[in-house]
Amino acid sequence: MELCDIPAYELSLLLRQRQISAEEVTRACLERIAAVDGRSGALDAGSLTPEDEQKVHAFITITRERALNQARTVDQKLAAGEDPGLLAGIPFTTKDIFSVRGTPSTAASRILANYTAPYTATPVARMEAAGAVMLGKVNLDEFTYGSSNESTAFQPAPRNPWNPAHVPGGSSGGSASSVAAGEAALSLGTDTAGSIRQPAAFCGVVGVKPTYGRVSRYGLIAFGSSLDCPGPVARNVVDAALMLQTIAGADPRDSTAAKVPVPDYLAQLEGGVKGLRIGLSPDYFRIAFPDPQTGEYREQSLPMDIESPVLRAAEVLASLGAEIVEDVPMPNTRYGIPAYFVISRVEAASNLHRYDGVKYGYRTRQPIDDLTKLYRQTRNEGFGLQPKLRILMGMYVSAAQYSAQYYQRALRVRTLIRRDFEQAFDRSGKHRLDALLTPTTPTTAFKMGAVYGDSVLMQYADQLTVPANHAGIPGLSLPGGLDADRLPVGIQLLGPDFSEDVLLRIGRAYELATETEDWRKVKPMVLR
Amino acid sequence: MNDYEAVIGLETHIQLNTTTKIFCACKADSWFDPPNTNICPVCTGMPGVLPVLNKAAVEKGVVLAAAMHAELRPLSYFDRKNYFYPDLPKGYQISQYDQSLAFGGYLDLPVPAANGQPAYIRKVSIHKLHLEEDAGKTKNAGHERLIDFNRCGVPLVEMVTGPDLRSPDEAAQYLIRLRQLLRWLGVSEADMEKGHLRCDANVSIRPRGATYLNPKTEIKNVNSIEAVRSAIEKEIERQIREVEAGHRIEAWTLEWDEEAGVLRKMRSKETEADYRYFREPDLLPIRLDDAWKADILKALPELPLVRRQRFMNAYGLPEYDADILTSERNLSDYFESAVKAYGSDPKRVSNYLMNDVLRMLNETSKTADRLRLTPAYLAEIIKLADAGTVNTSTAKSLLQKVEESGMAPGEIVAAEGLAKVSDDSAIRAVCLEVLAESPKEVESYKAGKVTLIGWFVGQVMKKMRGKADPTLARTILEELLA
Repeated sequence: MELCDIPAYELSLLLRQRQISAEEVTRACLERIAAVDGRSGALDAGSLTPEDEQKVHAFITITRERALNQARTVDQKLAAGEDPGLLAGIPFTTKDIFSVRGTPSTAASRILANYTAPYTATPVARMEAAGAVMLGKVNLDEFTYGSSNESTAFQPAPRNPWNPAHVPGGSSGGSASSVAAGEAALSLGTDTAGSIRQPAAFCGVVGVKPTYGRVSRYGLIAFGSSLDCPGPVARNVVDAALMLQTIAGADPRDSTAAKVPVPDYLAQLEGGVKGLRIGLSPDYFRIAFPDPQTGEYREQSLPMDIESPVLRAAEVLASLGAEIVEDVPMPNTRYGIPAYFVISRVEAASNLHRYDGVKYGYRTRQPIDDLTKLYRQTRNEGFGLQPKLRILMGMYVSAAQYSAQYYQRALRVRTLIRRDFEQAFDRSGKHRLDALLTPTTPTTAFKMGAVYGDSVLMQYADQLTVPANHAGIPGLSLPGGLDADRLPVGIQLLGPDFSEDVLLRIGRAYELATETEDWRKVKPMVLR
Repeated sequence: MNDYEAVIGLETHIQLNTTTKIFCACKADSWFDPPNTNICPVCTGMPGVLPVLNKAAVEKGVVLAAAMHAELRPLSYFDRKNYFYPDLPKGYQISQYDQSLAFGGYLDLPVPAANGQPAYIRKVSIHKLHLEEDAGKTKNAGHERLIDFNRCGVPLVEMVTGPDLRSPDEAAQYLIRLRQLLRWLGVSEADMEKGHLRCDANVSIRPRGATYLNPKTEIKNVNSIEAVRSAIEKEIERQIREVEAGHRIEAWTLEWDEEAGVLRKMRSKETEADYRYFREPDLLPIRLDDAWKADILKALPELPLVRRQRFMNAYGLPEYDADILTSERNLSDYFESAVKAYGSDPKRVSNYLMNDVLRMLNETSKTADRLRLTPAYLAEIIKLADAGTVNTSTAKSLLQKVEESGMAPGEIVAAEGLAKVSDDSAIRAVCLEVLAESPKEVESYKAGKVTLIGWFVGQVMKKMRGKADPTLARTILEELLA
């Protein structure tokens, strides 16, 4: 096994025992990147070559020198016997939606392609303060607006390491694919409707969407400010816990970051699941969507390949002493996407106002002598299709004459979704769940180009993940097996506010119990 | 004009005098600083930044709201007001919309007597009172537009009156009283020239006695109380001319050109702009619980107009005195301390303050609390004069000496031998001296020019460096000249 394939926790033990150096680990990752990543995402990248189609393309910017310098600093500290920090020498990637001082921070959009951040986002700063080594900024859907990563203005778009003909998911596609391909042990992603969990599921890695406010959003280029959650992407639950430990906690620069103490996630990680009540809901084993022709709601059950790993996980957890509670009603799940469509777009349109070509970022090169024309031309050239669609819809549903029908109504739906969870988790309620166990996604990774272009259908990829964002609760996606095409299937655990410790414990129990299963021995195609 | 009455509402923006801006740690007041020096990623709206609320801005807003008798909301929210402008770096202003810090409220505005009209009170209602961040400044320089972001994120209170004012004078009085109140409360420097207090005026007219509202125009860019008065006057005249000519008043936005003294049309206001307000997701609601509120309002002083009335009732001061003595909180505190130290006749203290201390304040540009002539010293000086220890002119010069030296009046009197000489023989000797030196004046006096007695007294006072009891000197002189 190469150094870059060793998970973070084991790496940190080896580093502390001085069996390996941080520089060696960093170089191993840089070599892996050179071997599997292909060309980094860029504007106006031209057409794809056959070689491009075999590569991962996780990165937009590789910060090679910065990484090597950080690694050497860690090695010096280790040599001097100083405490180098919890994540010392652990390589990670950062979704390019986070500001990192002195690096291009592009949001995968033309409009920010030339923008270099003057400050560093809190979660990145915490990773680096803990000694982690940032290898670079990874690709995403433009401004995180998508579930396949294909909408990035920086092409080639990332591909799924398990099968490069398939998408890695999105919007944290670069995060999930870089971790799955062994380019980095950890990645910092963001989740607004499932953008950590869905690509984690598609790429066979672990993704955590923490409770809203558990991790500071300072420095995260905003999409839906009331929904956005930074969180870890990792190769296993232990690593995810290690990373969450590092980035969680109050931040004086983010007043929505909760002042709730951060528990020791690692201490209880292997505490088992005995006595925990874990629910299954029929509402998470079907998807509901509007028929494109008639507009009527249609329901469809999930493929067996998706359903059976979840049911099997329930059996495994039951055998470990958890109590499985069936038929938990979550009736408002089906409204998650329509409500999200409205709320996230209102916030997105407003959050995109600042990109006007006046202060930083892209400005049209056409000679223009009128301010309004400058705005229009700049935004027309600078934004891709997804931001434009979201601005249009956001402006429409927040207009004075429509706001009550759409935006205010969506907020009420959001409250109802939250109520579903409150009732399921209510300590004195009927179900008294510690967690809900669900599939992460309705399908495994789809083929590149198969869904892209149908914004509505694409959005329904988030149906099982978005309720947690509406409700603000934490969610964890972890690998649960492979489908018939040997593509990863994700299973999801959802819990009450600030129950990350419990979700991680359940995830770890499942991980340990299935450690020796055959599917865990299969490697992603790009590493075979 | 007599057939019409004006209906005026004022929209004021008040810059709170916090040390730092409302959502970041940058210095709030940049009046003396070059452009773009008090800025950071947060107030310039760089990608990814978040606002963090400055508690001091809320506290000052609460004090102002309470002073305006407004109802404070235990839970209020920030909202985004979305619009594009180069000096608005986020493309939205963080403001408060439907659940603002406070609602309602009023100011009982005393309108002084003028043009034969008696004084009266105008009740001015407050429609809106909310917190928001300021935008930057745009300056046109030839073919370029320059933007100064220093002002971005400076805390403001927007306060809007009902259509309750009825004349340009009332509008001016409102601003005068508001400025007095803001300084009194210590929430704003309220300097209109520096933009600490900005005012837009909504003006319409209607037949006298009518109760309906006609379409109004909005006057922007009025930067002094005089400008507000003149601009409204001009606009009322214009509206009357239009109506008399059979035209309708259209809802224009007008700009006041201070130099030319004219109003210019900025734009028609056919439709209201849609700012697409929605709750600011980056900030938590303001929870003004009872404990915090009580803590803030603990420091709420007696309000200027209340104190003014009390000075009239409790101390029997004329309205004129009460008004001046309550023009500033320091001065009114000074007055009350001095009255307390003096122990009797408040009007006598007022006279000293109004005549001498105010002049001293003006000359030194000090505020009353900075004087070395403390209220206790002032009271002591008045008592020295009352007791006849010093005469009136010595008393007045003592004020100056105490202020210059910081010494107690009694010490100065002792050190400089300023006590009034009431010793008959000492004065008598000087009187004899004066008469001996002035044979011509003695002759004139004896010939009947008795008004010269004042001149003789003056000569005696001069020789005795002002210390003589002038009454006694006069009696002795009259006796010697008889």
